[in-house]
Amino acid sequence: MSRRDFFKASGLVAAGALGGPALLGGLKKANAAVPAPAWDSKFSACDICFNKCGLIARVEDGVVKKLDPNPKFLKSRGMLCARGNAGIAQVYDPDRLKHPLLRKGARGEGKWQRIPWDEALDMAAQKMEEVRSKYTPCGHLFSAGTDLHSQFVGRFAEVYGSFNVTSHESLCLVSGNRAFLDTYGEVPFADVLNSKYIIMAGANRFEALVTPDSMDLMTAIRENGCKLVTLDPRYTKTAALSHEWYPVRPGTDMAFMLALAHVIIAEKLYDPQWIEEKTYGIEMLAEHVKQYTPGFAAEQCSIPAEDIARIARELAAAAPAAMIYPGRRTSDYENSTQIRRAFAIVNGLLGNWDKPGGLLAARAVGLKGVPYDAPWYDENQEDRIDAHKVPMMFEHEGSFLVTRDAVLADDPYPIRGWFIYKTNPMGTAPNRKKTIEMMNKMDFVTVVDIAMSDTAWMADLVLPSQSYLERTDPCSGLQGSVACACVVKRDPIIEPMYESRSLFDVMKGIAGRMDLGEYFDFTIDEYRRKQTRDIPEALEVMDRDGVYYNPSKVYGIYEGRIYKTLSKKIELYNQRYEQMGLDPMPVYTEPTKVPKNQFRLVVGRDALTTQTSTANNSLLHQFNPANTLWLNTESAKRLGINDGDLVEVSSPVGRQELAAEVTDKIRTDTVYMLSGYNTLSTMQTLSHNVGASINELLDDDYDTVTGNASMHTTFVSVTRKVA
Amino acid sequence: MAQQLAMVIDAAKCIDCKACVAACKVANSVPEGQFRNWIKQADDAPVPGKASGKAKFQPGACMHCDNPTCVDACPTGATYKDPATGEVVIDHGLCIGCGNCLPACPYGARFRNAEKRKADKCNYCPERRAAGIPPACVDTCPTKARVFGDINDPESEAGRLYQKNKDQLARVTARTDTKPNMFYIGDPGTPDWGGEAVVPASMVAMKQTAPLLKAVVGLSGLGVLAMLGRQLIAGSGDHKEDTDA
Ligand code: SF4
Ligand code: SF4
Ligand code: SF4
Repeated sequence: MSRRDFFKASGLVAAGALGGPALLGGLKKANAAVPAPAWDSKFSACDICFNKCGLIARVEDGVVKKLDPNPKFLKSRGMLCARGNAGIAQVYDPDRLKHPLLRKGARGEGKWQRIPWDEALDMAAQKMEEVRSKYTPCGHLFSAGTDLHSQFVGRFAEVYGSFNVTSHESLCLVSGNRAFLDTYGEVPFADVLNSKYIIMAGANRFEALVTPDSMDLMTAIRENGCKLVTLDPRYTKTAALSHEWYPVRPGTDMAFMLALAHVIIAEKLYDPQWIEEKTYGIEMLAEHVKQYTPGFAAEQCSIPAEDIARIARELAAAAPAAMIYPGRRTSDYENSTQIRRAFAIVNGLLGNWDKPGGLLAARAVGLKGVPYDAPWYDENQEDRIDAHKVPMMFEHEGSFLVTRDAVLADDPYPIRGWFIYKTNPMGTAPNRKKTIEMMNKMDFVTVVDIAMSDTAWMADLVLPSQSYLERTDPCSGLQGSVACACVVKRDPIIEPMYESRSLFDVMKGIAGRMDLGEYFDFTIDEYRRKQTRDIPEALEVMDRDGVYYNPSKVYGIYEGRIYKTLSKKIELYNQRYEQMGLDPMPVYTEPTKVPKNQFRLVVGRDALTTQTSTANNSLLHQFNPANTLWLNTESAKRLGINDGDLVEVSSPVGRQELAAEVTDKIRTDTVYMLSGYNTLSTMQTLSHNVGASINELLDDDYDTVTGNASMHTTFVSVTRKVA
Repeated sequence: MAQQLAMVIDAAKCIDCKACVAACKVANSVPEGQFRNWIKQADDAPVPGKASGKAKFQPGACMHCDNPTCVDACPTGATYKDPATGEVVIDHGLCIGCGNCLPACPYGARFRNAEKRKADKCNYCPERRAAGIPPACVDTCPTKARVFGDINDPESEAGRLYQKNKDQLARVTARTDTKPNMFYIGDPGTPDWGGEAVVPASMVAMKQTAPLLKAVVGLSGLGVLAMLGRQLIAGSGDHKEDTDA
């Protein structure tokens, strides 16, 4: 007889009865299975970052209890990360916006008045009309983040008549996209799973999770013997799990890549037949990279020359199942496009295009667009406000920084209205003071969001939007690696909370008040049916599995197909750049030396953070209550700074205070902090006044080819804050 | 053979993303600032180049030990090892929140749930298993580093991994070897973070005497009632004294 049994048998349970009725449970048979919860399981897709991982929501009495991965969702490999799990905390965040709010005091003062929806929509429509008649349709700017409803902002802008639409992308990845597009004719996916050798530079895939690449990277390493070499000024988790890690001098990745090309070409380690058939410009490239020896790169990058040469040989030996990982967040320097072109060129030399373990072309997903004819406005401007300021901007993404400067200068015309959905330039664009100035320039700013972000905080009218678990979303096509070409949709998991409305309904409401109702004269269900007109079975399959897969080809898509470049081949040498007076091949320029007693501030992420949108999440907050400044042990010692000391960080554009994290995991000339903290908005109770805002510090340089922000060109001073 | 539910973890796959920790907290309504599971990290000085540290991240939680010292320390029998499944269970109906078991676990797997005011730890998510789905941490893990199941069942994924890697499986070693049922494939780093189990003398005495007597000693020795009293009196205050052995 065990003590437990005795305790029960002896009747002494009465003593425990003081503990309440729960004791009765103890009388049950020891093994009595716990009953299964009375869950309703419903499919959806995550929305805490851009990946859209498949999930199953467990719902009880109309309340979401848990979000679980959808095991049938191959793109996310049947997982849900910490942020995905914390989705519940976002949806049930007590700080969520509950009703339409109209600003009462000065901008940013935080005085709001609750108004009814009808009044709010009337006002938004009226103000937009005013801006349009006073400043032409292009006098209104529209900005939207990554979301399944964001396309309706674009649609609205177009029928309203404005070309001025910006996304988050020019604060993130457009220079990388440009570089690969201009080399291959399209932006590739990386077949990480089947790769044997991966060089990861300017990406941190075990922390900044991208599905399926992050998961596949581990499978490739652990199960397929893939070798991972990481270049990063920080000892990230990716660096920590790599076979080799080099704390590269920030801004010198191009020298490393050109040296790889030098070795591969000099030692003829490429497949001559492939290069001859598929690429353009090998002779020019060979000539160009002669100067970029491993010795030269070693001095620039602080990576030993023999290692560079060896890595080049190993990489070429593993080709074509080898790659320079394309990366995603490519907003780093003023020559980011050219830096990424160097990445693309080495991949070209490896002959990995359209092959297992290399770079893959986009697959057919099966979805169709839903076209419409936008009205024409004679009185309108000729072009976007950010047009012609950089040579190769992406028309549909724009450049946020170029736009902001143009707005501030009224150059070439004024913009006085701004509509923003689910993006937070106040918190994600460098030089926050300038974004505030831009806000102050506006006659009327409308923000639709689920939380009082800093951008909403500075707006005139704030409209509460539905979260991803409360609304009906259009279908979205996703792909990645060999995982899948799939389609997802979202249906409401719970009733919309408070007075929240979907962005689509908001747009519809405003459009109807502006005589643009005909362009929003449909339901999302009807829209989905149009999107899936070529794959009519998709909607049903999604109801059953939470995802629909298009059985399209993975490899060899380009067999017998020509590349969408001028030479109709992979362009090692870019003819179009030559015509435009840009360097047809990447020319290395040394990054500005870090001034004495200063540091280069670099940005980055961890697996628990999505920019500014998670800093106020009560679950994630428990892991990262505040950001810290990573400061090398040696540098800290020189400055008399101890771990945990409060430090002041100052840059040419601002100053912030936060605690120092003294560590060996960063170079002596570099500092790092997480983004998203120290919000101005007091309605973000967990992130307000906590840590430091990186965007208050970052200067607003941009890539000269695409207008992509360059986030790694700011130097800061760090001093111990004396209490 | 009876079941032995266990975790077989490929530590080399862990990327320290904390998805398992977040999932566990939501699935089990673990109060703010408290955790049923964790990732330990070996102290790896970053070494540039080829010698790069190869950090080791070690996922953990209660290991449902074969020799669970927490069971020895429990005066009421609330904590016991289920002979049918090999789980170490806390019967919350019997738990008086005395906190004896906290220092009795050499791995720090237990804590006093700040809301329920009872002992808490990993319970392999029984509600989820009843619903036919894996424990939350296992289900959500991006790299599928955590694998859960009956290691005595060669048909299960855990059993298969256990059999296949039998010779090189590692366990966390503590000064008190409780024979944990958490097995690591690959080098989990920090193998020795376990401490020493601190079991109250009265409970040790119980363990050494005959089973029935043991219980009587436990009860008549006022251990239970005294501790029960303390729990009731101390209310939401500091329970540090409970950890005195
Ligand atoms: S890990 Fe600790 S709490 Fe879990 S069974 Fe072992 S001794 Fe008990
Ligand atoms: S099995 Fe369940 S209770 Fe245990 S650590 Fe995993 S999620 Fe938490
Ligand atoms: S979820 Fe998996 S990979 Fe992430 S920390 Fe937990 S065990 Fe490691």
